[in-house]
Amino acid sequence: MRNGWLMKIASLLFIFGALLALSGGTPTTEVVPEKIVVGHSVCLSGKYAKAGEQAYGGIIAIINWVNDVSGGVKVAGKKLPLEYTYYDCESRKEAVTSLLERLITADKADFVMAPYSSGLTLAGAPVAEKYSVIYMDHGGASDRIFQQGYNYIVQTIGPATLYHAGTLKMIQNVDPTAKTVALAYEDSEFARMTLKGAKEYAEELGFEIVFERTYPAGVTDLTPLLSDLKASNPDIVLGGGHYEDGMLFNRQMADLDINVKALSLIASATLPTFGEALGNLAEGVMGPSHWEYGVTYSTKGAKKVGLDWIGPSQDEFVELFKEALGKEVVPDYHAAEAGAAILSLVLAIEMADSLDSDEVRAALGELEFMSFYGSWDVDDTGLQVGHSMVDMQWQGGERVIVWPTEARIGEVWFPKPDF
Amino acid sequence: MKINIAKYYPLIPVYAVYLTMFLVGFFVPGLWQLVALLAFYCALGQSWNIFMGMTGYVDFGYVTFIALGTYGMALGITYFSQFPGLGIAIIFIGLLLALFLSTLSAILEAGIALRLRGAYFAIACIGINEGLRHLIEGAKIWGGSEGMLYWKELTEVFGTETAIQLTTLWADIAVFIIAAMAAFINVYYMRSKIGYALTAIREDEDAAKVMGIDTTKYKTIAFLTSGWLGALVGAMAWGLKLTHVFPADVFVIHYTVECIVIVVLGGIGTLLGPLVGGLIYGLSKYWLAIILPGFQLLIFAPIIICIIIAFPEGVIGVVKRRVKGTRLERYII
Repeated sequence: MRNGWLMKIASLLFIFGALLALSGGTPTTEVVPEKIVVGHSVCLSGKYAKAGEQAYGGIIAIINWVNDVSGGVKVAGKKLPLEYTYYDCESRKEAVTSLLERLITADKADFVMAPYSSGLTLAGAPVAEKYSVIYMDHGGASDRIFQQGYNYIVQTIGPATLYHAGTLKMIQNVDPTAKTVALAYEDSEFARMTLKGAKEYAEELGFEIVFERTYPAGVTDLTPLLSDLKASNPDIVLGGGHYEDGMLFNRQMADLDINVKALSLIASATLPTFGEALGNLAEGVMGPSHWEYGVTYSTKGAKKVGLDWIGPSQDEFVELFKEALGKEVVPDYHAAEAGAAILSLVLAIEMADSLDSDEVRAALGELEFMSFYGSWDVDDTGLQVGHSMVDMQWQGGERVIVWPTEARIGEVWFPKPDF
Repeated sequence: MKINIAKYYPLIPVYAVYLTMFLVGFFVPGLWQLVALLAFYCALGQSWNIFMGMTGYVDFGYVTFIALGTYGMALGITYFSQFPGLGIAIIFIGLLLALFLSTLSAILEAGIALRLRGAYFAIACIGINEGLRHLIEGAKIWGGSEGMLYWKELTEVFGTETAIQLTTLWADIAVFIIAAMAAFINVYYMRSKIGYALTAIREDEDAAKVMGIDTTKYKTIAFLTSGWLGALVGAMAWGLKLTHVFPADVFVIHYTVECIVIVVLGGIGTLLGPLVGGLIYGLSKYWLAIILPGFQLLIFAPIIICIIIAFPEGVIGVVKRRVKGTRLERYII
């Protein structure tokens, strides 16, 4: 009788162990690669689901372009197709490590894409380092990731510190007399990095910072802060953090009749609903973005700046993206930067003529190119330094790209119209 | 003093499962991180069960302990890495800081929330959690909203290879040890005066008081123990393993809800319950993320509802009833 129970417990444990074991990979055997597997622990649900879906669509679009139009990736004289294997990490840091390990060991991913956001990118980094696999960061904007000494993270999204760099440069070009800057950002990791970068860059360009403050996330009234800001009488106001506080910022600036020459808000003014909701109040308001539909990057433009061009044109990308998601959605910058990350990988593999992580990583360090996303170049740490943000401005109810010159479709309204 | 070994028999199936998990993870390539994830859920469930399972108090602010544990480890590594020669001691300093911070938080919560009951207790705990998060962000303590990143410090002290081993292996082994400790403490409490007092509190706190039980004392013991274990899990599974901490990522009530689901699935107040609940929860989430990426939550919710309907007292609650009067009874509590 006692043996019977023991047997039952042993059987249960065996079944449990077998189930776990089934989750694992098969023993590795060295074979000539027939394909290149790109693994991705993507955020298809949870708080980053929207950005995750865009990234997913952008990646599929570019992989389809590489396989169908370009004929694959050339390695050792052979064109290899790209294969995309992905699992949903639910925007959760715990899930990232186990899914990443599965992608690398069971699915034999040659390269992996990081999930969206700096936190989730960091969560998977030790696993990528452990297996020495290149970890393409398409949604982690924090500069500090690249100050940590990781060997295999390579960034495509521009770092947070550069969000307002283009805006300041543009204003200096348009009106060198505009000198005073007010900085008012949300108190979040991303917005504070943007503030830090904007402050440093403004000082470097000779602007004078007359106001600098942060406001808490989820703020419902910015009147006290904006009243102080008004008293500092700035020419330029840079700030924001998220969509809701960006809207509030714009509306309350109008309520307090704070008219400045330029107002640029991060992560809000670029969204179509911003202008729709604010109507005339949004006129002349600007916002930086990594990419916007309508940019005019082209093979010609690439030639002009001495860069190689790769990938589909913007319109081809949009079509491939819609096809990938099976719905009529216009891609945003999350899709473009994830797609561009794949393009950089393809070029680096061809440049290295190998799938070896170290060789491809070295090639990524050397690489410089332009695509529908704009220019791409990383420094030794893997930080993106070649991509310039685009600046868009609300003009007559439309979003118009006004900077940089190689991507713009209209002239900037400077000074902006009064509220 | 004679130790009654028989009262620790229920630990045999618990440790057998942990050992199996450990061996599978260790020897089957590519499974370690999955096993580590399961151990994380089981350890959290078992730690939370000590207070909630035994007293019936639903502590929605439990994640505060996990978050402060993470900060303890982050502080240990960031600040003490500047002193050469400390070596591995910085990890132990991190653990001590995790325990210290969680003790401070427990004192704060015990002073405010443990005086309250039911929904008022739950709301007070949520308030403390949110308050601490905003304090860290607003007062810019420990990097404020920018958080702390310390892979660099870890590699400077230990070298890249050892840092990789620490984050992808030893942090997880530590979670196994914490889970085993939590199981032992669960049994110890269940089979001692503390457990009886806590059961009395759960059934009728006023009656327990009238019977002469110092309810505040026993509640505080369970609260502190549960909080310490949560802080240790945070220090290892988030602090050491992920080598970064952002306040917005750790003070998240969602993790407390996960603890509740794990314990309710397995069986509230049982020893094996949080383990079984953690395995069901972790494995289903993992498998669904692989089989149906993007749609897993649509399937996951009905699975949880079905399990709760089939096992209203939790899986182990029902099993416990079935094995009553059999030889298995002494192993399943």
